[in-house]
Amino acid sequence: MDGLRELTYLEAVREAMSQEMRENEDVFILGEDIGVYGGAFGVTRGMIEEFGPERIRNTPISEAAISGTAVGAALTGMRPILELQFSDFITIAMDNMVNQAAKIRYMYGGKGKVPMVLRTPAGSGTGAAAQHSQSLEAWMAHVPGLKVVQPSTAYDAKGLLKAAIDDDNPVIFYEHKLCYKTKSDVPEEQYSIPLGKANIKREGRDVTIVATAIMVHKALEAAEELEKSGISVEIIDPRTLVPLDTETIIGSVKKTSRLVVVHEAVKRGGFGGEIASIIAESEAFDYLDAPIKRLGGKAVPIPYNPDLEKAAVPGVDDIVLAVKEVLNRS
Amino acid sequence: MAKEIFMPKLSSTMEVGTLLQWFKNEGDSVEVGDPLFEIMTDKINIEVESYEEGILLKKYFAEEDEIPINHVIGYIGEAGEHIPEAPPGESVAAVQDILSDSRQPAMHDLEEIEISETTTINETGDTGNENSQSEKIRATPAARRVAKEHNIVLSEVPGTGPKGRIHQKDVGDFLQSAPKATPLAKKVAGAERIDLHTINGSGPQGKIYRADVEKMRQPSTASETGGRRMKMEGIRKVVAERMLQSKTTAPHVTLTTEVDMSEAIHLRKQLLGTIEKQTGFRLSYTEIVLKAVAACLKRHRNLNVSLEGNEIIFHEEINLGIAVAVENGLLVPVVKEADQKGLSDLTAECKRLGTAARNSNLKPQEMSGGTFTISNLGMYAIDAFTPVINQPESAILGVGRINEKPVGRNGAIELRPMMVLSLSFDHRVIDGAPAAAFLTNLKEVLEQPFKLLV
Repeated sequence: MDGLRELTYLEAVREAMSQEMRENEDVFILGEDIGVYGGAFGVTRGMIEEFGPERIRNTPISEAAISGTAVGAALTGMRPILELQFSDFITIAMDNMVNQAAKIRYMYGGKGKVPMVLRTPAGSGTGAAAQHSQSLEAWMAHVPGLKVVQPSTAYDAKGLLKAAIDDDNPVIFYEHKLCYKTKSDVPEEQYSIPLGKANIKREGRDVTIVATAIMVHKALEAAEELEKSGISVEIIDPRTLVPLDTETIIGSVKKTSRLVVVHEAVKRGGFGGEIASIIAESEAFDYLDAPIKRLGGKAVPIPYNPDLEKAAVPGVDDIVLAVKEVLNRS
Repeated sequence: MAKEIFMPKLSSTMEVGTLLQWFKNEGDSVEVGDPLFEIMTDKINIEVESYEEGILLKKYFAEEDEIPINHVIGYIGEAGEHIPEAPPGESVAAVQDILSDSRQPAMHDLEEIEISETTTINETGDTGNENSQSEKIRATPAARRVAKEHNIVLSEVPGTGPKGRIHQKDVGDFLQSAPKATPLAKKVAGAERIDLHTINGSGPQGKIYRADVEKMRQPSTASETGGRRMKMEGIRKVVAERMLQSKTTAPHVTLTTEVDMSEAIHLRKQLLGTIEKQTGFRLSYTEIVLKAVAACLKRHRNLNVSLEGNEIIFHEEINLGIAVAVENGLLVPVVKEADQKGLSDLTAECKRLGTAARNSNLKPQEMSGGTFTISNLGMYAIDAFTPVINQPESAILGVGRINEKPVGRNGAIELRPMMVLSLSFDHRVIDGAPAAAFLTNLKEVLEQPFKLLV
């Protein structure tokens, strides 16, 4: 049972759900086309055969209905996982998530709770155009009462999803579409990665990059490139935006004196602003030796044209350049 | 109003200072930066410069007086100003200064006062450059933090970042390079276009006074002929300072004697194989001399001494330093308790220490605690020399080459392998007769090494 194998991120998400559903009768999944079709990206493929249509529930095409059902089920003691085909459609589920799921436990003084997970693929890179490619995690991170998770690797995805299911509060679980095919070593047995614990994906001395989701991979590539010029990059993946592991980020910036934040979401109003502000307010301020640099998506709807689509979000070259800039070496 | 002159607190442990000499008399006019008086603290001697200009109105203390820190020593002001007849005690200004800086009272020293002085001058004095002064300084938070920690005025630091932004590294570089100088010294150096870096400051931590700058103004032959210049630093500087101190504080006397080394050569030949088998190293004359010196010092305790303050310390241990030439200087690793060790151990240890010295691998404890030093130039064509005492030790033995010389023996002239020993000693601590007795004993032991067994 304790062997490591290489799994894709997609398989890791599926395994986390299947293992939990075998253990816990209260857990079920609901969403559009998640049954025989296996979901928009195939995450739940094969699950209906094992768990049956009662626990892998196909729903009408209504994110409002899916989220409303999930909130209700959670209040009655179930632990639903709902899948939204594209995170862009969270707008339709927003009232249930923001005004109900996030508030009920608080408003009823803890007499009820909403243990649910909203899983949804986000991000660009698949040619899915403006309505199917956004990264809207900053919206959800803004709402007290919701937890927000953004795993970047298969290993993190499995462990964080277990923690999300176990959590008694609503958790928004963002899966990046381009991460689905990435692979990493994943233990066979169930394990949990605590929400609010960042991961240092690479240790370095000269500059800290805080990156999320697919940008973790791009930052790692940039770090390889920068190493050739003798620049040592530390990469921190917060893994969860809410709660946020500020201690690890502040500690790293104190060490390196320089910070680059990179996410795919539009820079304006993006979560990078939050991280930059935390550093500016923290004890790390006195250690900053260059202005903080944020990299984020351009303030445009994601274009359909593949070249423009790539140009709309930060790439490896942009990260390399930003790092050199904060080191006065551009 | 007359300005107080008070005893500065020059270190965190300083309680009182001794007034060594006044450079000005009452009624003399004083400029900012002029040396006023010299004091001695528990650590250093220092000339104190004036921060005010005017007339020296009053001197409350005479030379050799001990004065508590912050107590008023005198007044500078305009002629005819009223000042107290008796010493007013603690300076009000100095105490207030400390109170306002209660954050780090121990740090309140002369340097800090001078830095604030520098700031004042920057703000008011430099009218030609007002624009850059009034503009806010671009510096990163890290640069500001480090500058604050080291009391650096950021406006003096050149920034290498975009638009002249000062980064942490710039402050670090400035800290490394910036010579400490009094405002007046800076002004004079600026007017004379003398680079402060080229001036050797005579103050604490190389601080540059006006006198140092003026010394540079006089043309020296060295600067006219050009030639390669090397900054005195690291081990070179340490050697220079220590040699100068030894030569200027210890009255050196050097005794020489010639030793017939026939028996020592014989002894070495007989032991060479045995010791090489045991240690892997070849026994050399250094170790034989070392062994003999250790044995003789044991009998002549009055050469194994140090002078500390006004006390002579007679050392229990016999720890022998060996001078080793290294690149750009000289190191003296120490063989501890040499009298307790046989030739085999001494050979192994000397070789190891010599290698470590040349590879800069000596640990601090391997260079300290010496009680007597041996300097061997026998590998060169040197017969005798006058070694400089390695303080705080009080004597050093110079070893020359072994050279065949005609010697009178039993009414005939014979060629014998002779070696000169040169013993320098500090005549403050050691007199000629005991030094001569020691050297005679050493000669006997080397000429008849079986005496080592006695």
